[in-house]
Amino acid sequence: MTLGPFFPREFAQGANDLTIVSGKRAEGEVIEITGRVTELDGKPLDNVVVEIWQADAKGRYDNPDFFGWGRAATDARGVYSFKTIRPGPVQGRAPHINFLVLYSGLMRQLQTTMFFEKAADPVLDRVKHRERLVARKLSSQSFSFDLRLRGDGETPFFDD
Amino acid sequence: MVEPRDPRTQSEGVVAGYPQTARRWPSQPLVVRPHDAGELSGPAKLERRLPPSKADLAGRGAHRALGQLIHLRARVVDEDGVPVSGALVEIWHCNSAGKYLHPNDASDSPPDPNFQGNARLVAGDGGLVELRTIKPAAYAVPDSDGWWRPPHIHFSVWGRVWLSRLVTQMFFPGDPLNDHDAILNAVRDPEARARCIAKFVPTASGPAHLRQGALVYEYQLVVRGRKAAPRMP
Repeated sequence: MTLGPFFPREFAQGANDLTIVSGKRAEGEVIEITGRVTELDGKPLDNVVVEIWQADAKGRYDNPDFFGWGRAATDARGVYSFKTIRPGPVQGRAPHINFLVLYSGLMRQLQTTMFFEKAADPVLDRVKHRERLVARKLSSQSFSFDLRLRGDGETPFFDD
Repeated sequence: MVEPRDPRTQSEGVVAGYPQTARRWPSQPLVVRPHDAGELSGPAKLERRLPPSKADLAGRGAHRALGQLIHLRARVVDEDGVPVSGALVEIWHCNSAGKYLHPNDASDSPPDPNFQGNARLVAGDGGLVELRTIKPAAYAVPDSDGWWRPPHIHFSVWGRVWLSRLVTQMFFPGDPLNDHDAILNAVRDPEARARCIAKFVPTASGPAHLRQGALVYEYQLVVRGRKAAPRMP
C-alpha cells in the first residue's frame, strides 16, 4: 500500500481525445500517442495524471476550432494514451507537445516535451539525452513516448 | 512576464520521511529552458473539456454526509495578486473517517455513501470559488512509522497560462498534526507554509448567507510568483 494516489479517476475521464471540438473533427492529421510511466527500477505507476498542451496543425495556440489541451491517467500497467492532431511547427520551434506529470510522491509537477524528430530546436538543444525526448514512431499515425521519472533512461524534465 | 516561483516557497523533490519521493523525483537536475508561446499560453474556457460539477460535497445522497459541515471560500489570484476570474478549480478530499472515494484507497476506514469526494468549479468574479463540504479527517499513512496526514483538501488550479498550473493542498488552522506532516514541512519557508493554512472566519462576522450551520474557512491560491502557493502532490 502506498500513500495515495487518490487523484479522482473521474477527473481524467473523457479528456484524452483532442481531435473533436464541439462535435466537429479538428483540421489536421490524427495521431495516437501512448506511453508508459515508470518510477525507479522501471516499475509502472497506476493513476498518474498526464496533461498535454500543444499547437494546432498550423502551429497556432489560439485556434478556436482546436482545443490543444488534454488529460489522461495511466492504468495499472502504467500506460496512458492520447488521440490528437499532429502539431505544426511554431515559429522557431520544431513541432512538439508539452507534457505535465502529476502524481503522489512528486512534490512538484514535472514538465517535459515530446518531439517528433531529432530536429534543431532551442529547447531540445539544451538537453543532454535529446533522443529521450523524441517519440518512437510505431506507424505513420502512432507514436510512443515513455516517461521514466527516475533511473535508467530517465526522461529529461524541465524547470518551470 | 511570468514571474518564477520562489524556490524557498517550494518543496525539494526528495523529502525525508516520504520514501516514494526518492523513487519518483528525477535524479538529474531539471533543465532550464527558454519559454515561448507554448508555455506562455494556456487553454481558455477549459470547462469546455472538463465540465463543472455542483459546489456541494456534503450531500451526495438523500442525506447529508457525516462530519462537520464547512463552507470553503477559496480565491485564485495571479502573481500580482490579481484575481483570476474564470479559473477552473478541482477539489478533492477524504471523508470524515479519512477514506477517499477512490478504488486505490485500501484503508479500512468506512466509506460514506452520502459524501461526494470531488468537485470541479469555475471561479467567479474576484477569482472566488465556494464549496460546501465536510471537514476531512486525519488519517494514518499506510506502511509508515506513525505518520498521520493532517486534515487537508487537494486543489488543482489552472491560471491563465501553462506555467501557472498549480496543484496543492490546503490545511486547517490549529491542527497539531500540521507541525509533523512530511509534506507540509517539506516547504522550508515558514511564511510559505503559513499560506497553505486556511483562515477560520467566525460565522458571526461572515457573510449572512453562510450562516447555515457550517464553519467558514477562507483560503487563497496564488498560482505563481514569489508568493506562489507551494506545490504539493
